[in-house]
Amino acid sequence: MRQLILIRYGEIYLKGLNRPYFLHALVDRVKQVAKPFGGKVWLHDARLFVSDMTDMEGCMTAVSRVFGVHSLCPAIEMDKADFTAICEQAASMMEGITGTFKVDARRSDKRYPMTSPQINMEMGGYILEHTQGLSVDIHHPEHVMNVEIRDHAYLYVRVIEAVGGMPVGTGGKATLLLSGGIDSPVAGYCIAKRGVEISAVHFHSYPYTSERAKEKVITLAKQLSSYCCGIRLYIVPFTEPQLTIHEKCPEEYGTLIMRRFMMRIASRIAEKEGARALITGESIGQVASQTIEALCCTDAVVPMPVFRPLIGNDKIEIIHIAEKIGTYETSCLPYEDCCTVFTPRHPATHPKLENVERAEQGLDIESLVQAAVDGAELIEV
Amino acid sequence: MLCYLDNSATTRPSQRVVQAMIDCMQEGFYNPSALYAPAVAVEKKITACREAIALELHADASRVIFTSGGTEADNLAILSLLSERRGGRVLFTAGEHPAVRAACEALKNSFDVKEIPYDRYGIVDLDALLDLLTPDTRMICVMQVNNETGAIMPMKEIADLRDRVCPNALLHVDGVQGFLRLPIDMKALGIDSYALSGHKIHGPKGIGALVYSERTRIVPRELGGGQEKGLRSGTENVPGIIGMYEAIHTFPRENEMRKQKLHLYERLLEICGENLHVNGPQPESEFSAPHILNCSLVPVRSETMIYALERDQVFISGGSACSSHKQKISAVLSAMNVQRKVAESALRFSLSPYTSSEEIEYAAGCIARHYDLLKRYERR
Repeated sequence: MRQLILIRYGEIYLKGLNRPYFLHALVDRVKQVAKPFGGKVWLHDARLFVSDMTDMEGCMTAVSRVFGVHSLCPAIEMDKADFTAICEQAASMMEGITGTFKVDARRSDKRYPMTSPQINMEMGGYILEHTQGLSVDIHHPEHVMNVEIRDHAYLYVRVIEAVGGMPVGTGGKATLLLSGGIDSPVAGYCIAKRGVEISAVHFHSYPYTSERAKEKVITLAKQLSSYCCGIRLYIVPFTEPQLTIHEKCPEEYGTLIMRRFMMRIASRIAEKEGARALITGESIGQVASQTIEALCCTDAVVPMPVFRPLIGNDKIEIIHIAEKIGTYETSCLPYEDCCTVFTPRHPATHPKLENVERAEQGLDIESLVQAAVDGAELIEV
Repeated sequence: MLCYLDNSATTRPSQRVVQAMIDCMQEGFYNPSALYAPAVAVEKKITACREAIALELHADASRVIFTSGGTEADNLAILSLLSERRGGRVLFTAGEHPAVRAACEALKNSFDVKEIPYDRYGIVDLDALLDLLTPDTRMICVMQVNNETGAIMPMKEIADLRDRVCPNALLHVDGVQGFLRLPIDMKALGIDSYALSGHKIHGPKGIGALVYSERTRIVPRELGGGQEKGLRSGTENVPGIIGMYEAIHTFPRENEMRKQKLHLYERLLEICGENLHVNGPQPESEFSAPHILNCSLVPVRSETMIYALERDQVFISGGSACSSHKQKISAVLSAMNVQRKVAESALRFSLSPYTSSEEIEYAAGCIARHYDLLKRYERR
């Protein structure tokens, strides 16, 4: 008998001939997060198992963050021959639990001498006899004692919901524009969830933004990376483009032109990283640079798709996700990021592309962009 | 060159302080309450520190309580009022440190707590104070020196007003910024309690003291083994006390802080001209502490200049260090009605007795270089 983690995957199950490709990726990801706990990971009979981990709870938290994992259960694996011993174990696992319950047996080993309904009845009866404060409700039970009869018998009561999605790496690569705010880490999370490997770009405007602001972004990237299995974060020196824009461009287009520079620089870095798309945390109408007209103007300089998973979300919905994934508190630290350094008093909310392009005419765009890309510092978190 | 001009946030412990603490931890580690000779020797050193503090303040060494620092000392003095059933008025000045302000505000359920306004130099407005004083005033909290502006509060005048209107009111002084830098006589002024901190005088962090007068009743907040005459239980922070003693003992009373400060002020004036705004009393005035200069280099924002200087190893602060995590105008500058634009550029330079003219010259050179560049990009 031993303790292990039983992992169930969701959407991968629906895949056809390429299912092994996704499963391999999932096993790799689970192995990666279980490694610090010394856990052994294997795939058997449409389930993943982790055993021999030093810290059960810690390992479960890590696994619950792996995209592709649908749910996980702390389970007991034991010999299936002695049914009474299985019932004893089940009863001991139900001890201290009160309310209604049922037993839910699944018998994938069809040679096993009892059928699933038989197991349900026998074990349910045994548990009722040997525990207190429990009654049976097979329609709406508060607790379910799960029994799976495979090569061994597996017992579990607690089911922990995991993040779902698809294993990172199976959905290609994209580059996230990561500010210090609430939205961008959430946007990164949403896309990574679909199996996309993320790299990130942060714009740093020293001395208008501080070391603390940079540290904050590194912390955010680390938090995000616990889901994404590692992030390559580029810190781009952005003071020069910002000052040039501030000096040479009409005030009302300042933010928009700045966004266009960010997009140009990020797509250069994305190309370097082999990423095929950009990700931003924009949401329609949240600020002046996020009106549809403004988004059209920023998209005009990007030679690849820009994913904006939060485009239709309210701030409060974004905050809920940020709280769930654990980035909210860090995002709320008050260090200024480069987006707010030179905010115009009256930014253009319905800009016309030709006007914006005209406003940019006096700038040496290529050399500013290239200098920023060349000066970027790479941090792997 | 490393140029540390943030001595109001904390100071670098002097070499002798560090050595005294190491010796204490290696050799004199005994519990001062124990009965054997080495423990008695430790107790003697603690008494010596009490005496040194009392001597400095013209107070009685038997009424010095060691605390974990300034905050605890302020809290202990102010929250002792909670045992007073009578209620009445409690006053604190507009620019008090949060350790005082928050403690006073915690009394609001039982007392009529009011703030004493500042004038535009950041000094207590005495006329306003007179209006606020009532015969049932129980306590007046006044800082000796404001931590952000360096303004010295008119303690004598405040004590006189107290004696005239409400002689029974306790006068609590937060001396964290003033201790050793300015003389003060608790007996002569009738100060009832005085809080100080070790790490602002080149001593260690985690140690401070509350000194109190005969008529002050201190109600303990830490209960336990009855140390400090039952007023602050817990085994004494012996290395801290020894370190603080050494700090008091070796603090250079004769120093050139004021001269250096004026030198810095002149250099800033050359750099910024009419864009330089002093926040607080004029640097040469008798109300300006020798070690703090707060001024705004308009239009460059405080944090921008602080970050620019950090790469030159010049360390200064905006408001007080405690408020640098909060993105708002300093409460002290607001209380002085400083214009928002000026307040957003406020920088605090705080010197130590060890600050040299070379350091001031170096800092001024760096500021000049950054100011010329940064002032071009005014934020809207």
